[in-house]
Amino acid sequence: VTGNSPAPRIVLAKIGLDGHDRGVKVVARGLRDSGFHVIYAGLWQPVEAVVQTVLDEDADWLGISLLSGAHMALVPPLMNLLREKGLEHVGVLVGGIIPEGDVPKLQAQGVRAVFGPGTSIPEIVGFLRKDRAETPPDDLISRFRQKDRRALARLLTVAARGESLDAARKEVTAHPGKGRVVAFTGSGGVGKSSLIGRLVELLRSKDRSVAVLCCDPESPLTGGALLGDRLRIAKGGGDPGLFIRSLATPGGQQAIAQNLDVMVALLKAYGFDTVILETVGAGQGDTAVRQQADVLVVLLQPESGDELQWEKAGLLEVADLVVIHKADLPGADRVAAQVHEHLNLPGTRTIPVLKASAAKSEGLEQLWATIEQHST
Amino acid sequence: MARLAVDVQNQPVAAESSVPDRADPATTVSGVPIAPLYSAADLAHLGISERDSLGLPGQFPFTRGVHEAMYRGRLWTMRQFAGFGTPRQTNERFRFLLEKGQTGLSTAFDLPTLMGLDSDSPQSRGEVGRLGVAVDTIDDMSQLFAGIDLEQISVSMTINAPAAIIMAFYLASAQESGFDWRKLRGTIQNDILKEFHAQNEIVFPPEPSVRLVVDLIEFCTQHVPQWNTVSISGYHIREAGSTAVQELAFTLADGLHYVEECLRRGLDVDRFARRLSFFFNAHNDLFEEIAKYRAARALWADVMRNRFGAKDEASWKLRFHAQTAGCSLQDRQPEVNLIRVAYQALAAVIGGCQSLHSNSMDETLALPSEHAVTLALRTQQVLAYETGVPNTPDPLGGSYFVETLTEQMRRQAEEYFERIEEQGGMLASISSGFFRREIAESAFAYQKAVDSRQKIIVGVNAFQEEERQPMDLLQVDEETEMEQLRNLDRVKKNRDGSAVRSALDQLKRTAERKQNVFPALLEVARVRATVAESMNALAEVLGRCEPGELS
Repeated sequence: VTGNSPAPRIVLAKIGLDGHDRGVKVVARGLRDSGFHVIYAGLWQPVEAVVQTVLDEDADWLGISLLSGAHMALVPPLMNLLREKGLEHVGVLVGGIIPEGDVPKLQAQGVRAVFGPGTSIPEIVGFLRKDRAETPPDDLISRFRQKDRRALARLLTVAARGESLDAARKEVTAHPGKGRVVAFTGSGGVGKSSLIGRLVELLRSKDRSVAVLCCDPESPLTGGALLGDRLRIAKGGGDPGLFIRSLATPGGQQAIAQNLDVMVALLKAYGFDTVILETVGAGQGDTAVRQQADVLVVLLQPESGDELQWEKAGLLEVADLVVIHKADLPGADRVAAQVHEHLNLPGTRTIPVLKASAAKSEGLEQLWATIEQHST
Repeated sequence: MARLAVDVQNQPVAAESSVPDRADPATTVSGVPIAPLYSAADLAHLGISERDSLGLPGQFPFTRGVHEAMYRGRLWTMRQFAGFGTPRQTNERFRFLLEKGQTGLSTAFDLPTLMGLDSDSPQSRGEVGRLGVAVDTIDDMSQLFAGIDLEQISVSMTINAPAAIIMAFYLASAQESGFDWRKLRGTIQNDILKEFHAQNEIVFPPEPSVRLVVDLIEFCTQHVPQWNTVSISGYHIREAGSTAVQELAFTLADGLHYVEECLRRGLDVDRFARRLSFFFNAHNDLFEEIAKYRAARALWADVMRNRFGAKDEASWKLRFHAQTAGCSLQDRQPEVNLIRVAYQALAAVIGGCQSLHSNSMDETLALPSEHAVTLALRTQQVLAYETGVPNTPDPLGGSYFVETLTEQMRRQAEEYFERIEEQGGMLASISSGFFRREIAESAFAYQKAVDSRQKIIVGVNAFQEEERQPMDLLQVDEETEMEQLRNLDRVKKNRDGSAVRSALDQLKRTAERKQNVFPALLEVARVRATVAESMNALAEVLGRCEPGELS
């Protein structure tokens, strides 16, 4: 997948209780290295959650991995639900241990291909290179206006490719939304996805709808990407009040995806109360996200305190709010004090420094209250 | 029609030949380079001398085996992992295997049971009895072993997150049948750490999960003295794609963590350590596997004696079960799997295993049929009675090649122990994703080597045949799930609901106080609470592990 054609998007998921994930993870890496955008949805996924992931991610393909022998019980309901949601254009592949006699039965359900043990990555890639019939984008805007979630998902894809931007801009200017946009940035491993996951839980418990845009880097060599953040954000799944889209940022340099402004505006116009942006987290150059958000939250963790790496990163200059994440680890208080001292020099604006822990569910309510205060 | 290496006129086949060349440098199946020749110079270079480092079989550090006579004294236990459908169906398979000359039982539970669910839990739909036997209550356990003398035959149970509950079912059921706990022999896997590294059958977060492991060790050490309380398992780590060294290192690191936690609980090392057992994979690379088992024994003996100060020899001895590598089996030309399994079993036996499961040739297609499982067992019997391999302990001891590999693997494992320590120990390394990352890297490297034909797999990327022969496969039908649901329904109707509630309350209170939950679980078993009811009660106190933490 090179040249100008956009990278195909494939969702990989394990359904049922089966935990054998060697195969699906190898396939995910192999497809990424072959130029695909791979959204890994993880273990133990209910059928409803998988279908919503396919819909929200506007996937071209869905790969289901099953080594448990439960495929005849689980795949037919999945195929039915895909049809019910108007997703029959999505190509479904099944991988794992499937007795030969079951293969035609799965194909009769609409499964495009079944890949057993011993399948090579090039075999799968070769199969996926076949083109997919695109649904024409002509009535997307009118369907979007009628709150058609599929149209929203497709418009995001189209916008990400830089197509139909004028029509989308016109629509969101005419009917802008009121949602609050909150961006989270911080270096890799600081726990952005986990913290966002807990905040999403909090917001959903207050019955506030949430959309999340997660940015992950695209390989500059192959154009492929492995997008795994939604796995840490979505719990249970199948919740219509939560929309998650995984985005690959081109070139591996930028912190956010192209045309993010249009995508954010589309999500607001669609009616989400909150739009959350998660940056790549390269640790530098994330400041571009500043223009997109009402509130920019910078995450640090205790270990980053010693060398004050964050100071060099220039991140703190643009932060509205600093969170010392993983506050259950030793050194959190020290880092919080250092950052506070660094930021709140006399005569400058006051930037709150909070502590939170996704793992221990601590500081979440206070964090959200501070975010709300800041954006009203 | 088979695609042949040479065509019918005996003309060499050109570029697209399926006969691979041997140009690439030789490596083990784990990618470790192998020198063209090994000699006494290698041993001298590594400082290996027979008297100082090797010892004799049955002597510290047990590199050459845990018993002086090894299989001259007693053959390994031939123990085929089995379980499917209802307890009644698996009981039939157990009796079948015993009739065929198997010498121990090994129980496979279905996925709902492994995940702490009941057959009637919504998530269990389609999975009941499919990959193993469904057990919901103590009555299922009693049915599973009906008519089998549990004081005479040793029983292995592969279960982890709900291990304490299943063990309580087993002990309470044995008691109801009049068996003496002190005479019961067997093994419960009870190894949750490797679930976090590789196998993913997880319910509770790591720290309370380990607490449950120690609860079981503590209770059984005292009351069921012949029972192996943990089977510290590298098998699944290897199946998930690790190298042999990673399997060795991560398994032993898990073992070290359990020992540390038991000591922290105040247990006496010389009382519990003798009942820690191990479970390794037997993969394709004969010598690498043999070296792995030998290195494992030497490493364990060293840490048990020198780090943990165990005085009793029994605490130093690493005893292990082996299973041939499921991940090496292919669905193309499945009969060829018989040959793979035979070589893998050979590695396990030369490596000094205490018990062995040999896989059936049809396991990439379905659960083993009776025909396939009989051939798998016969493979072990040929090895035991026809080949002469068991006639002398550690027949490769002193081999320049095997001793060098053994020593290299021992050192590489110690390097991993240090890396784990540097990262803050076992639980910190789990939460940072260290083990999963390491294993995934190796799995991907292996796949790339296969795809590029640097590694050859017969029938898959070389020597392929166009047509597949259909095999007769075992089918688990829909009726199984219905039968099990009826069983469960009957138990729920006939039990004393208030006794169930109070036993579950007691379980929760015990967990809240961080006391050993095992006695409370025995009561839960006796009043016929289900697996899921017990797990849910525990989860209210211990919390649950989310799939997002396992990426």
